[in-house]
Amino acid sequence: MSVLVRQFRRLWFAGLLAMAWPFVANASGADPATLAKLPRWQALMHVNHGATWRDVGESYVDDDAFFLSPQGKRSPLAELKASIRAMREPGSPARCRFPARFRFIAEQLGWPDAGRGLAHCADYLQFRSELATGQLVLIFPTAYLNSPSSMFGHTLLRLDPEPDPDSTWLSHAINFGANINLQDNSLQYMWRGLAGGYPGQFSIVPYAEKIQEYSRVENRDIWEYPLNLTPDELDWLARHLWALRDINFDYYFLDENCSFRLLELIDVARPEANLLRGWRFAEVPVKTVRALYRAGLVADARFRPSKATELARLSESLSSSERSLARQLLRDPSLAGQPAFQTLAPARQHRVARTAYQALRMDHREGERDTDVATRSLALLRLMQQTPAGAMAQSPPPAPPEAGHDTQTLTMAAGVAHGAAYGEFGYRLSYHDPLDRARGFLPGTGIQGLDLRLRWADGESLALERLHAVNIRSLTPWTTFDRPISWFVAGGLEQRLVDTNDDELMPLLEGGPGASWRWGSLVPYVFGVARLETPSTSRAQFDVGAGAEAGALFYGAGLQVGLTTRWLEFDGGRQRRRSSLTANLPLSRNTALRAACSHERTGGEQANDCSLSLRFFLD
Amino acid sequence: MKKYLVATTLLGASLAAHADAPGGPGCGWGNLLFEGQSGLGVHLMATITNGTSGNATFGMTSGTNGCDVSGSLSYNGTSMLAMNGVLEEVAHDMAAGQGEALTALSVSMGIAPEHRTHFNQLMHSHFNSIFPRQDVTAEQVMAEIVEVMRGDDTMAGYLS
Repeated sequence: MSVLVRQFRRLWFAGLLAMAWPFVANASGADPATLAKLPRWQALMHVNHGATWRDVGESYVDDDAFFLSPQGKRSPLAELKASIRAMREPGSPARCRFPARFRFIAEQLGWPDAGRGLAHCADYLQFRSELATGQLVLIFPTAYLNSPSSMFGHTLLRLDPEPDPDSTWLSHAINFGANINLQDNSLQYMWRGLAGGYPGQFSIVPYAEKIQEYSRVENRDIWEYPLNLTPDELDWLARHLWALRDINFDYYFLDENCSFRLLELIDVARPEANLLRGWRFAEVPVKTVRALYRAGLVADARFRPSKATELARLSESLSSSERSLARQLLRDPSLAGQPAFQTLAPARQHRVARTAYQALRMDHREGERDTDVATRSLALLRLMQQTPAGAMAQSPPPAPPEAGHDTQTLTMAAGVAHGAAYGEFGYRLSYHDPLDRARGFLPGTGIQGLDLRLRWADGESLALERLHAVNIRSLTPWTTFDRPISWFVAGGLEQRLVDTNDDELMPLLEGGPGASWRWGSLVPYVFGVARLETPSTSRAQFDVGAGAEAGALFYGAGLQVGLTTRWLEFDGGRQRRRSSLTANLPLSRNTALRAACSHERTGGEQANDCSLSLRFFLD
Repeated sequence: MKKYLVATTLLGASLAAHADAPGGPGCGWGNLLFEGQSGLGVHLMATITNGTSGNATFGMTSGTNGCDVSGSLSYNGTSMLAMNGVLEEVAHDMAAGQGEALTALSVSMGIAPEHRTHFNQLMHSHFNSIFPRQDVTAEQVMAEIVEVMRGDDTMAGYLS
């Protein structure tokens, strides 16, 4: 009874409000100045609270179409006032353009038609009815083989129709990406990328398209992190997405990139999570994942293997004779009639046929496919269909990327070189070398940017030992089905032994193609090496050198060891041989102990260098 | 019926892009995605900036990459290129007897969870009639799937 009375009172009050509404704008008593400071409005305005250094206090949105007030970009309050004015009238077009703003204003000001105030927005309602908001998932396609730069990864979001849906192929992916100009060369690309020269936009695409793109074409494993946002929080996000269509944000590789923008979007859904209150420089996707974990948003982590990973797992489940049979079969499926195949147990036949099929598709995942490939594909599928699939053992997923070490490195080393003791301090901006703890990374792959070492040797002053701008190594092992080219490239300044038996700081640039293999925990490799360097600081000339490098990496349980030797001959006839042995012992996720010894012989001079260093990873 | 249409477009999408899938004249993704993005500059970029992301490797696409934010989210013609490869995945899953693509197909057709195993088996056992030639079109595949379902007591109910 009393409930009914209360409801009646509420209804009555609402009715009174509805009548008085044109005259009582601030029904709840809140004034715009207070409302504009609320976290939700700040999130809807994409206000920079100091997470990045450009234009603190202003909106990240770089598009006049997003603002109703001329001061909107700089003043969330001015934009709130302009929005209230524009949305007051039922049937106003501004409500349809900014449904999330409308919800905020209508709820805060107690507008009586908060629930049905968008009835005139047919396009939006159509969009909203198609965009099911059962669950939001952070999608992280990890590094792909032979492309170390992809180690930084990419992140996007996925909206599922319901929590834990039967098929995610029918879900929608929310992506933030820049639109580049394909006519730009690498230098323009780099400059524009750094300087915000490319406009970025949010887009919504079928998730099945992203699966095709990442797991099939690029062969990237995907990690999926369902977030614990409620349907109501996701309603905010869906409404806001509508307002962001065709809206430009300048794209900056370094900080305001795809990962960063996703945080802005999640901020709209749950402003209390405070995802953007700290300083976020060099927003690498793995940091986004960690930030979401810290904010208590991540409910789970799931692994979606790429086609390459699936093939590798299938291939590993075969004996070596079965593997070579699969290789013959993919070239000529009619060999299935031969005894070698016929004598296999049916389930093994299936697995061999399946491996052959997947390897064939892998070979032809890009470029033209001719009738011959299509005919062979179908023949192999028929073979699969005729044999029982049998039970496939599920391999456990690898360690997720966030289990890897942090992105920057500090090192403290002590050592002996030229018979004199030295101390060394090092800083590396990014990210991973092939001997760092491999958990969460692709073994054999390294990408290092801005690697600085300062050395203080006994009896000498502090000197720059090395400044490598870039150092990338990609060892991609040969398999039964694929013979990828490994490669490396490095450039920068380093101290080098010269004929006078002393070191001088000189520029270098080197790189080359190679091959690598994997035998259990051992990854041997060979490289051809081309190198450009100055022979001496006193002469302004470059020497061109060519040679070879051979080595092996060992990935043991809790220990990485690298052994390498290199021989180079320069155009003046000068020769250099250098060998080194390095052992890396991780002590925790973010600390490691490393011992390294090298021997170098240039012309008639030689030098040894041994050191012990402590490595700390941070951020 | 609406769900049946979704399934048709799920398959039909790749049809329009590659009439002779599976194994038709290739997948068009590669060229678009990798142009200007596989060069050394890209790797250098990544090293120096320590922050990359994007559509392919770097949040970079030319044009809109078929991304449509104008409001239409259905699986229709706008994502044609995007759905390239689905038919091939479906063929693989039918030959194997199960898989994600086949599940996506049955979900899009509104087949109840308790009937999906049966659906998978039905598709598996009729693989040769559904994929009779290597140049079969997605339209033909869809038509044959419907034929096979019509001949099955449990599945026929989903076609009415």
